Amino acid sequence: MRLTRFLPLALVVACAPPAQRDYTKLITANPKSILVVPAINKSVDVDAADYFLSTLPIPLAERGYYVFPVNLVKRLLEDDGLSDAALVHSADPVRLCSMFGADAVLFPTIEQWTAKYVVVTTQVEVDFSYILKDGKTGEELWRGREKGVYQSNAGQGGLLAGIIAAAIEKAKPNYMPMARAANLKAMAYPGPGLPAGPYRAEYRHDLPGAQPAKAPVSKPASATDTSPAAKP
Amino acid sequence: MRVVMAVLGLLLLAGCAQTMYRWGGYDETLYNHYKNPQDRQEFVEHLSLVISDAESRGARVPPGCYAEFGWALYEEGRGEQAVVYFAKESKFWPESRVLMEKLVRNATLRRGPASTTRAASTTGPAGALEGVAK
Repeated sequence: MRLTRFLPLALVVACAPPAQRDYTKLITANPKSILVVPAINKSVDVDAADYFLSTLPIPLAERGYYVFPVNLVKRLLEDDGLSDAALVHSADPVRLCSMFGADAVLFPTIEQWTAKYVVVTTQVEVDFSYILKDGKTGEELWRGREKGVYQSNAGQGGLLAGIIAAAIEKAKPNYMPMARAANLKAMAYPGPGLPAGPYRAEYRHDLPGAQPAKAPVSKPASATDTSPAAKP
Repeated sequence: MRVVMAVLGLLLLAGCAQTMYRWGGYDETLYNHYKNPQDRQEFVEHLSLVISDAESRGARVPPGCYAEFGWALYEEGRGEQAVVYFAKESKFWPESRVLMEKLVRNATLRRGPASTTRAASTTGPAGALEGVAK
């Protein structure tokens, strides 16, 4: 992963002190597939939940997990009377996961998603939280929180200005670049994020105090393979 | 014009991102679908592009893409074609098997008289979920 591309974005994402993480439950649960359900939206932009949802599969899958098709899942839930994200979030994670055959479920929330227009600067703030729960026990496995603050200054040029300009369309602000940057930061590992899933080469070898690899690195499952990844 | 933009987007993404998968603007595709739901054809075409782009290069089609495309076909009443993509998702991503088998079953059941309408049954494809809402 070439991080330099995202560096300008990362620089403007507000830094929170890295919290000491306990990955015990996540390591034990060892989820290989993640069901992403629609986000709870606490912002005033009614469309924000869908836009945020669009940004979640890529960074999660790039961490090495199978991610269920988010739009399909959303539609199935809607057809089943669960069009309100709050209802989905209050549903039993074990039940949710068993219906879809998922190992774990990610509950995303938009805490904030706003643009403030001042005379010379425009400030866009995003604040997301992510909670991953186990499909077998329903226990919380991981939790992330990411705030991004983006500010445009008069006279600033270059890539950053371009990103800001893209973000602040008059008619409909495009928050996608911020959402992407925030997701990437929240899920980055080592850091506050998610250890590698089975589709990444460093799966199980990047854990705190991990033993040097003896087991072969898991490969993507073949068409005939019923177990998607080698157990450690 | 839009397709040209989509292709340009694909090329741009192909050029810059060092990712495990060739996403081909998958997130933008979803985003645009939510932003402009009336542009359905564009959505379906772009999902198809994501798949063909990866396939033609011998790359693994990213997780969820076959299924999402299959679902788009299914919503248009193209159940027979949808089943093909649900099966592909299941084949290449075994984690999806439980869900894909349900979808295949439901799509096959609905392929009968009402295959061209969305409101074919009250339980719909989500009958697959067997009452998640509880």
